[in-house]
Amino acid sequence: MSARAPFLKVWGVPGLLGLLTAFGLLAALLGTGVWHGLSWLSLSIPILVAARYWIAPRK
Amino acid sequence: MTAAAKLKTWYWIHKWSSLVCTLFLLVICLTGLPLVFHEEIEHWLDDGKPYATVPEGAAPADLDLIVDKARAMYPKEVIDFVFMDDEEPQVLVGMAPSYDADPDLAHYIKFDAHTGELLKDGRTVSQDKLTFMGMMLALHVDWFTGLPGELFLGLMALLFVVAIVSGVVLYGPFMKKLPFGTVRAERSRRLKWLDLHNLLGIVTLVWAGVVGVTGVINELATPLFGLWQATEVAQIIAPYKDDKPPAMPSSVQGAADAAGKAVPGRTVISMNFPGNRFATPHHYMVWTRGSTPLTSHLFTPVLIDAGTGEVTTIAHPPWYLTALELSRPLHFGDYGGMPLKILWTLLDLLTIVVLASGLYLWVARRRANDARIAAMARSPVAALEAGAPS
Repeated sequence: MSARAPFLKVWGVPGLLGLLTAFGLLAALLGTGVWHGLSWLSLSIPILVAARYWIAPRK
Repeated sequence: MTAAAKLKTWYWIHKWSSLVCTLFLLVICLTGLPLVFHEEIEHWLDDGKPYATVPEGAAPADLDLIVDKARAMYPKEVIDFVFMDDEEPQVLVGMAPSYDADPDLAHYIKFDAHTGELLKDGRTVSQDKLTFMGMMLALHVDWFTGLPGELFLGLMALLFVVAIVSGVVLYGPFMKKLPFGTVRAERSRRLKWLDLHNLLGIVTLVWAGVVGVTGVINELATPLFGLWQATEVAQIIAPYKDDKPPAMPSSVQGAADAAGKAVPGRTVISMNFPGNRFATPHHYMVWTRGSTPLTSHLFTPVLIDAGTGEVTTIAHPPWYLTALELSRPLHFGDYGGMPLKILWTLLDLLTIVVLASGLYLWVARRRANDARIAAMARSPVAALEAGAPS
């Protein structure tokens, strides 16, 4: 196994959720209209992911 | 340092930065919940007269007329500011017994922006602090103590940021052998909450980091503003040092118009009156904002000579005031409509769970250690076989 695989395994999802959050925070600040919609969508995803694993945990 | 020693150091940093700030942060997160909706709540509680219905595009009332009305209501007081809301047709006139009076004695009067009619004679700042929203704000920002409280809670917010960073460093080794989203619910309550603490902490990481850092910057508003006044503003007013401040400042509407003309494309939002601590003794400080989503949060101050009524200069706020201005929306979550406020609330609630579970884990770990030490005292050999306390 390469050294990169375990890194991505640990940090892949958190990194993606972090990017989505950052995008959501900035989209609403820099744009209006459709950007607000995209902001709401991207900020919802981390919350939904948290709810998904809290309610139905991965064993 | 070995990897194990590094891990121990980060664990120590995470434990102590969290322990010191957690109770304050819990109060901040709880009081933040109603504050996210302060506009809606204040609107709902507002007992002032309703706005006049006017045709679309009706001209606003003359500001001098409104300010004269305020002066007539409190002839012995001074005018602190005029605030022209662009969300609602209102003009607020801030007043105080004098320019160096206790800020708690300040109050504002609300007028209709179109008719200039008096809508509400507001409470003083000290009375406002005793309302529900006033208390929420005080517990969130300064614990009723002004600057010392702001700096103290700013320090707590900084510790929160340290806890977030050290928590991220610990997340790696903790999750090395576990797939994302693992919550080991059956083995023990402590393990379940450790996994949930890690999951919810990493999911809210960027939001909590941004709200934490912007919280620190917002708590530094007073010193940052003071720094700007001591540097750029001090230079602007240096040529006035031998002049007497004008006995009666020039026209308010004239100052607003002159400032608006000086910065085309920007809207005049508020003005601090000469003598007020946010202006200078010789100038109106007129705050204008831009028309794009981003620049609507960035203010350009125009200084109007209160003797002549003419523009002295357009100021250029330094980077740290720009950072402060951008820290407001990113902390308050009030820049993307109601859905953003609801998302802010949910992320705040998740952060409360992270804080509370962290506190629980510390207590549970101590209890586990105490039990192990007690077991060791009873039977040193058996305890050694079971593993020494960590």
